[in-house]
Amino acid sequence: MTACVTLRGLGKDYGARTAVGAIDLDIPRGEIFGLLGPNGAGKTTTISMIAGVVTPSRGHATVDGHRVGARGGAAKRALGLCPQDLALYEELTPRDNLAFFASLFGLSGAALARASDWALDVAGLRDRADEPIRTFSGGMKRRLNLAAAILHRPTVVILDEPTVGVDPQSRRHLFDSIRALASDGMTVVYTSHYLEEVAELCPRLAIIDHGAVIAQGSLAELVARHGGPPPLEVELAGDEAAILAARALAARHGTLDGAGAILRMPRPAALAPLFADLETAGAQVVRVTAQPTSLESVFLALTGHAVRDE
Amino acid sequence: MIGAAIKKDLQLLLRDRGTLITMFLLPVVFIAVFGSIFGGGDRDDRRRLALWADPASPRAQAIAAAVRGAELFTIVAAPDPTAARAAVAAEDVDAALIIAADVDPLAGRPPELAIDQAGPTQVRMPLVGAVSAIVARVVVPMPPGADQPMVAVVTPPGIRRELAGVTGFQLTVPGNAVLFGFFLALTVGMAFLEERKWGTWRRILASPVRRSTILVAKLVPYFLVGLVQFTFLFGLGVVGFGMRIGGSVAALVVLTIAVVACATALGLVFAAVGGSEKRMGSIGSVSLLVMGLLGGAMVPRAVMPPLLQSIGLAVPHAWALDGYLELLVRDGAGLTDVLPAVGALAGFTAVFAAIGIARFRFER
Repeated sequence: MTACVTLRGLGKDYGARTAVGAIDLDIPRGEIFGLLGPNGAGKTTTISMIAGVVTPSRGHATVDGHRVGARGGAAKRALGLCPQDLALYEELTPRDNLAFFASLFGLSGAALARASDWALDVAGLRDRADEPIRTFSGGMKRRLNLAAAILHRPTVVILDEPTVGVDPQSRRHLFDSIRALASDGMTVVYTSHYLEEVAELCPRLAIIDHGAVIAQGSLAELVARHGGPPPLEVELAGDEAAILAARALAARHGTLDGAGAILRMPRPAALAPLFADLETAGAQVVRVTAQPTSLESVFLALTGHAVRDE
Repeated sequence: MIGAAIKKDLQLLLRDRGTLITMFLLPVVFIAVFGSIFGGGDRDDRRRLALWADPASPRAQAIAAAVRGAELFTIVAAPDPTAARAAVAAEDVDAALIIAADVDPLAGRPPELAIDQAGPTQVRMPLVGAVSAIVARVVVPMPPGADQPMVAVVTPPGIRRELAGVTGFQLTVPGNAVLFGFFLALTVGMAFLEERKWGTWRRILASPVRRSTILVAKLVPYFLVGLVQFTFLFGLGVVGFGMRIGGSVAALVVLTIAVVACATALGLVFAAVGGSEKRMGSIGSVSLLVMGLLGGAMVPRAVMPPLLQSIGLAVPHAWALDGYLELLVRDGAGLTDVLPAVGALAGFTAVFAAIGIARFRFER
């Protein structure tokens, strides 16, 4: 595995506040790499430093072998940034937007037209290319936001929370586009606080919290390392009063989820006391199954809080 | 990249109706209103004076003839004194001069000037003064051949001769062009804020374009729009309001470039220190209006007290207007006549640019 993006001791302070400590990270070439963390964890500051938008207080980053911030802007040419905010001119058409952003990378004339057409195809917006984008849905704008980041065909594209506020159809389109870009060899850095998105898209990921990378690896590695015992699903039988009493007693053994006769909870250290309490309540245990360990439980185990708590 | 930036910002500007109205329509309204107030074109703005003089009295007729001959008023002949007074009451005229047969001011029998004494001083006092002076010239015995101007009005050496037939629009067009032209600074400041608000600023910073180029590319379109604004307003002044350019057109172009460059540089200061949209909108507007007022864009500095006239020189508006008035109301003024104004504006531009660059933060 060769690294396409490397971070070495990269950090940022704003006055006395440290937004990002000192991150070391290698992002493999040609993969979709997840950067997972709650809002305020330091994801956006980290990718802003990689993109050369924010000057680091310490450390450095390289993109495709080029040091970020060095003269000539080679690292920036190799990188496309899709910011979390819709970074578009709403009064202009997609084609006008792309023409301007392409010019920032030196594209003009026929090359610009080809790049715009390709990016519009990726976004599925070729047929709406000449309408003002203020009339577009949130999902269409998000797709165009992606198109503006990739139209110069960078080696690395950073997608900062690209699915915020999009409809399922546009989300699916974005996912398909991202996978297609990765299969063409583009390295994708995907930041999100949506665990299920990172789990679906990213073979490898880093978890970031309070400005530090607290774990990294493949999803399987992270689950094996930090996921703990698989959670349980317990199906009960009995009258309503017995089920209610059983749920109340089960809550003593861990965080309780599920509804009615289905109890979902982290696996307790010992099962016998749980089953004894359920029988005391007058409920019968019909079935017990172990659930797959999720990224959520990994995150919970690592940080002590859910990813959307902050 | 700068070409693409110009195209993009012009596209955005053309869709921004508020800014277009502030830049192009409001100054036209101000020019029309203030130009009319100060007296425009060939319109007869003389006060209307009803006149009745006893036909049997040579002295009364002599005074009436002097009043008519002065051509200071639009004379409305009244059939009798009552009709003359009624015309004042009906506001058909500003005043009525009634000259009886036994008129003799030196003996305590002056002609009657019927006028609303509760009316505006600005109307009443000049009218009373002018009529009194005419009557005095007739009543006080004059030697033969003494019917000459009481004063000889001349322009001393060292000052260019004034352009003949100067109208109010010669003053209000440059005044409002400068006042609203400097509002370009607010537009520039807002444009930077919007770029940050839209998130496009981050995308631009992530590009390989040098930061100094980004700054220049953001300012150039507005500099060009400012030139278009001045061309439009002066063109409209000439075509629509009969304004004439007494001096060199080339000097006018050089001066306008200096003015617009100064406004653009001031815009960079607004972008650097302006803070939020709300703060920039309020403080920026007020400061530009105060600068315009001190600089003589609303009321000519010549009518201000000496201290205020001196304070006015601390704002670029004053220098811009001094330059424009040199070219618009004096015959044959050229580049050398506006060099002090151009030099001062270049100085303001340098100071504004230095402050703007020093305080501007690409990363916030």
